[in-house]
Amino acid sequence: MGNSKHLGLAYTRARSTAKAAAIFLAPALLLIAIFIVYPVIDTFAISGYKWNGISSDRIYIGLENWNTLLHDEMFWKSFQHNLIVMVCSIVLQIPIGMLLATFLDAGGKKFNIFKVIWFLPYLMSSVAIAFLFNYALATNGGIISSLATLLRGQKTNIDLLGTSPNALFTVIAVMAWQFTPFYMVYFIAGYGNIDTTIYEAAVIDGATRGQYLRMIAIPLLGPIFKTACTMSLIGSLKYFDMIWNMTQGGPAGATELMATYMYKLSFQQFNMGYGSTVAAGMFLLITAIALLFNRVFKVKEDY
Amino acid sequence: MNEYKASKIKSRIAWTIAFIFALSQLILTLTPFFFMVMNSFRKQFDMLQQGVFHLPDPWIVTNYVTVVTNGFFGYFLRSVIVVAISLILMLIISSCAAYPLARMKFKLNVLIYAGIVAMMSVPMHVTLIPIFKMTTSIGLYDTLQSLIGPYVAFALPMSVFILTAFMKTIPKEIEESAEIDGCNRYQNFFRMILPLSKSGLATLAIYNGVTMWNEFAFANTLLISPWNKTLPLALGQFKGEHSLDIPMIMSVLTLSVLPMIILFIIFQDKLVKGMMAGAVKG
Amino acid sequence: MKNRLLATFLTAAMVISTLAGCGGSAAPAATNDASGSGAAATAEAPAADTAASSDASTGTKQTDGKNLPELTTEPLEITLWDIATEDPNKTTQESAVARFMADYPNIKINQVHQQNDNYKQQLVVAMSSGQAPNMYIHWGGGPMAEYYKSGFVNDITDMYAKYDHPDFIDAAVAQSTYDGKMMAIPFGGLSGCDIFYNKTIFADLGLEVPETIDDLEAVCATLKENGITPFALANASKWTGSMYYMYLVARHSGNEEFDAAYTQENGGSFTSPAFIYAAEKIQDWVKKGYFPDGVNSLTADDNQDRALLYDGSAAMMLHGSWQVSGLKSDNEEWYTENIGVFRFPEDAEAKAAGVPQDVEIGTAIGNGFSFNCFNDDGSVNQEMLDACYVLATQYYNDDIYNETQMANGNTPSIKGCEEQIEDPNSKIVVDVFFNASNVQLWYDQYLPASVTEVHKDCMTELFGLEKTPEEIGQEQDEAMQKAIAEQ
Repeated sequence: MGNSKHLGLAYTRARSTAKAAAIFLAPALLLIAIFIVYPVIDTFAISGYKWNGISSDRIYIGLENWNTLLHDEMFWKSFQHNLIVMVCSIVLQIPIGMLLATFLDAGGKKFNIFKVIWFLPYLMSSVAIAFLFNYALATNGGIISSLATLLRGQKTNIDLLGTSPNALFTVIAVMAWQFTPFYMVYFIAGYGNIDTTIYEAAVIDGATRGQYLRMIAIPLLGPIFKTACTMSLIGSLKYFDMIWNMTQGGPAGATELMATYMYKLSFQQFNMGYGSTVAAGMFLLITAIALLFNRVFKVKEDY
Repeated sequence: MNEYKASKIKSRIAWTIAFIFALSQLILTLTPFFFMVMNSFRKQFDMLQQGVFHLPDPWIVTNYVTVVTNGFFGYFLRSVIVVAISLILMLIISSCAAYPLARMKFKLNVLIYAGIVAMMSVPMHVTLIPIFKMTTSIGLYDTLQSLIGPYVAFALPMSVFILTAFMKTIPKEIEESAEIDGCNRYQNFFRMILPLSKSGLATLAIYNGVTMWNEFAFANTLLISPWNKTLPLALGQFKGEHSLDIPMIMSVLTLSVLPMIILFIIFQDKLVKGMMAGAVKG
Repeated sequence: MKNRLLATFLTAAMVISTLAGCGGSAAPAATNDASGSGAAATAEAPAADTAASSDASTGTKQTDGKNLPELTTEPLEITLWDIATEDPNKTTQESAVARFMADYPNIKINQVHQQNDNYKQQLVVAMSSGQAPNMYIHWGGGPMAEYYKSGFVNDITDMYAKYDHPDFIDAAVAQSTYDGKMMAIPFGGLSGCDIFYNKTIFADLGLEVPETIDDLEAVCATLKENGITPFALANASKWTGSMYYMYLVARHSGNEEFDAAYTQENGGSFTSPAFIYAAEKIQDWVKKGYFPDGVNSLTADDNQDRALLYDGSAAMMLHGSWQVSGLKSDNEEWYTENIGVFRFPEDAEAKAAGVPQDVEIGTAIGNGFSFNCFNDDGSVNQEMLDACYVLATQYYNDDIYNETQMANGNTPSIKGCEEQIEDPNSKIVVDVFFNASNVQLWYDQYLPASVTEVHKDCMTELFGLEKTPEEIGQEQDEAMQKAIAEQ
């Protein structure tokens, strides 16, 4: 673009671009500012106070909450859990979602029934998921224990949700069950964006389906893939819903995540000041990890 | 000839493996769903005594009758209204925002993009109190409209993020040729980019539609009167301090998920069409 | 319509004659008047919506002739939050409000039913935004103190002394009091904590209801030998396991050691002998298999404990007395046939040493209403407070209210009500409760909120055998000391 020979033209063009960009961006930025940025600023402000969340007196204590946060074992433990959830989620949800999408892409329209059924978990509400899995995974009489009993030929009880670290991995599996369908749909859309002529050309060149996937489709999905990873990453770092319904962070903090910890502090233990510090810390950590991830896996960008 | 045979066998093996995988995934996803529906046809005592993973014996439909006669359609209708308005607004606003971020070169581009992406990491619960305060101070408390702002705003960062990625995959030449044809940026956006982003928009509609449909925290905080409440709050009628009618809750959940399934069946066809359209034009 | 009215009148009158001792709302000086005016009110009110408004125009009110503050005749709006999202509580509580509004048409009560799971969060959001309700439900204990200290609770000590009110049992008054001040009117009914057991299984195995903890252990051993899990416990909820811990502590030391540990003064500690005894006993029982496998993975919210009773795999369940209505509504026939109740057995050794065996666990108020009636300048809005007081003491807690409460298996925390209980199990629960020298509120409601969380996690670690009794005691000590320091 910017060519030194046509400086004047480039300048006018840049200005009109800036104006157009501003017009296009304005509504989104406005809404985000009101509903997200302002609360975030508020959260940071509250993190400087000792405050029970309801009283009209707040005591300003400077950075004391932040100092507590740095030495708060429970917070770092839950952060660690979040990291485990994050890694496992990316490793499970995205490849499986991709496989499912590939299968559907290869099968075309006649596989639609698979698509609809595979998508069901994502449509179910967290309440139902938590309830059904609490029973399905019950130590005594749950599906997994019954299967194990059947396979071993003797009564086997597997405690999946009641002990650490089993509970965390169980919850991760349930999360994968819930979210994989979304990534499936996402990758289907991604495949859809690839020009069919590319596939035709590849076939004419004698490529097999597998070769086409390996050499052409998957590399083309690069940016989509990266976006999916980022979403899974952020989603698992701030996850709350299903865990809250299923274990409330238990047993004894084995599935405590940053978000459940923050919620308990702010709304149940009358410790809004510190709860806000946890929330703010959480925000900083997630943003840092997301940016780092995007830096490390920088896909060549082209405007 | 031999080579052809070999590749045919190979492909057959690949398909067999794929089908085994597909079927096990089918069972895995269907089982809990199946039991959610089954348990909605039982009495709580039978469910607890016979076990959750037992077929109904006897089958009863009284749960559904109770749910439907307790204002289910009102809850349902309000949810439809809120979700539809929020979703449409969100799709328009996010595609507008994604367009310059994906396809224009201007000074603050990277910064704004990074800022929006950073907003994805805000935990929803910290915004409850500020948003509640705002809502009460502008007099929208306990109205359906009060949900639209937060719903749209919270869906934006993720949607802009995804759409930007999608729009970047649209070949640059398309826009350039349109520009030669005399289209300005705005026409470009509406005539070329938007139609080509259909599959991305469809994904977003699904993703956010489901989230909004099941959203509980904002709805529970901002709505008070029974005649203003949305579907996820309908569950509360069957949950007391110490009691919980699980089959009743399962029937509410089944009834709430049904329209989503129907929509998905219709929509995913549209999604395929959208993709085809994209492919032909591309 | 006429017939129905007459019928309700007759039944109401009959109910009153049997109800004589209960619900008198004219304490402390109980007069004969009370039951008389109560009867009149009862007869009017069942037709609440239609008939009552016409009664109001004739000027007779349910509160006539009582010593109560004169309510304003100006329009007044009051916001009330409860958690009565589902029937039967919903109908019972809505009708109390309807009766009040019929008698005082100028006062509008905005009754909001919040969902229990998120109620505390809702209250925090509303209070921090200056939108707190004028009258709201809570469970007493630590949170009530917190609301009071933050300025969201009216001190009603003087009003309570001056005006009529139901004759609440002492434990209920005690649990509505903080710092020597009365700050709530109970309305939810008391909840005891006792052992529900399967009579059929006990009979089949020739087991007797145990009197002492030693007997209880013998029962457990027999059950276990016969392949039945002694206790149905769902400890993912944590407060369920806490019941065993609380009772063992109470039987071993009465209230003494818990009170000492609560203040952490004079050598008080959660590592004192009773706490160690309780924790050791529990861990011993866990090791012997007296609790279900995966006890920490079962949740009481999903009724996973009741499920174990229903399918016959467990024989006993220590739980709150609200289980009576839960069990009944699931299957009344099965309940009547199979379920009995006994109080937590005594500690023979401690008894011999003179430790009282009549300290019980539970809540005497169930739910209480606190009032948040203040003007913008922080002064008390007496007009509104008066209205709230009358509503809470005379319409909630009146004869109609109490009668429906009892029909639903709840026992109002009012003297005399215990005599009207019909369900044999509820009778036992209430007897235990009324014979208690002291009722200890659940730890998880009594302790400060931050300690509650630690206590609950300790319960998981206790039943999961992850920590020793000493470690658990120390953790709770630490949390308690921290909470005291922050006061």
